[in-house]
Amino acid sequence: MQDETPPADLLVILRHAPHGSSWLKEGLDVALVAAAFDRRVTLLFMGEGITALLEGQQAGPLGQKGTAATLAMLEMYDIDSLLVEERGMDELGLTSEQLMLPVRRVADAEIPGLLADHALVLNF
Amino acid sequence: MRYAILLLDAPYTSQAAHSALRFTRALLAGGHVVDGVFFYHDGVHNAARLAAPPQDEPHLVDAWAELGREHAVPLQVCIAAALRRGLLDEKEAARHGKQGFSVEPPFELTGLGQLVDLGLRCDRLITFGP
Amino acid sequence: MLLHTLNRSPRSPVLDQVLAAMGPEDRLLLIEDAVIGALPAHQGRFESVTGRVYALHEDLASRGLLALCDEAVRVVDIAGFVALTEECERTVSWY
Repeated sequence: MQDETPPADLLVILRHAPHGSSWLKEGLDVALVAAAFDRRVTLLFMGEGITALLEGQQAGPLGQKGTAATLAMLEMYDIDSLLVEERGMDELGLTSEQLMLPVRRVADAEIPGLLADHALVLNF
Repeated sequence: MRYAILLLDAPYTSQAAHSALRFTRALLAGGHVVDGVFFYHDGVHNAARLAAPPQDEPHLVDAWAELGREHAVPLQVCIAAALRRGLLDEKEAARHGKQGFSVEPPFELTGLGQLVDLGLRCDRLITFGP
Repeated sequence: MLLHTLNRSPRSPVLDQVLAAMGPEDRLLLIEDAVIGALPAHQGRFESVTGRVYALHEDLASRGLLALCDEAVRVVDIAGFVALTEECERTVSWY
């Protein structure tokens, strides 16, 4: 059986939490630019990167923007393939209901296939 | 094969820049084409023209520039990541009313779209992170 | 078949991420701080990928680890690193 959609061009893996470093922001920027150039993009949130999706985030005390507003715009960029690592969810004790966007949980066993199916994989 | 390199950390902070430089040289020695080295995140510091390491240490900025010139390898620096970190070429320095500039050819400031293009155009993209 | 590179110590949680992401044929190349993982004492961490673990000669040598490397780990030099990236369809870096 074939999947109904062909694999996306770019898989961006996001492994860092918001605010503590610029990895998440700069990883998302690559995804947005690729989408703006009409590339199909999949985002995979792994480990603490999953906390980027938590509800109720705010700007930092110095006005650091964080990434929640960017994530809220993903749909406008036609980035709707949002995956979260199931193991990471369990390790953080989080449920999908606590996240700001609809996501698909992926088990460890699915991750190698994801990497193999995308023409380009960028890890942030 | 056609290769692209993505470098994500500053020189003299981690080993990433050394590894990326050695790997890129090995690609060229092996007869591969390097379509571009893209500097992103703290990797943009590799383009700092004012870097002045002690004489008995490898000069990574000069080494990249030499590699870029000798082998016609584009050295592309993400402009958004660079400006934030104080890395401006002459044109950007003038545009922002700054005295002096910190990036010069063969490094070129460019958009992030170049990274996506490189990654999808080349046969291989190899990332070096911190 | 993909190549994964790792540059973090075997005690880093990043090792768990790369092990989870490796397919049954994928290869793992240890570079920089990750070459400490080539020590026999750490081989238990790599059980699921035994025989598919490589370590970079130059990074072992500069750390005095060359002679201490486990027999199950294949040592490659920088040209061998290039060859691995040729053989594998794409390379994913974990750092």
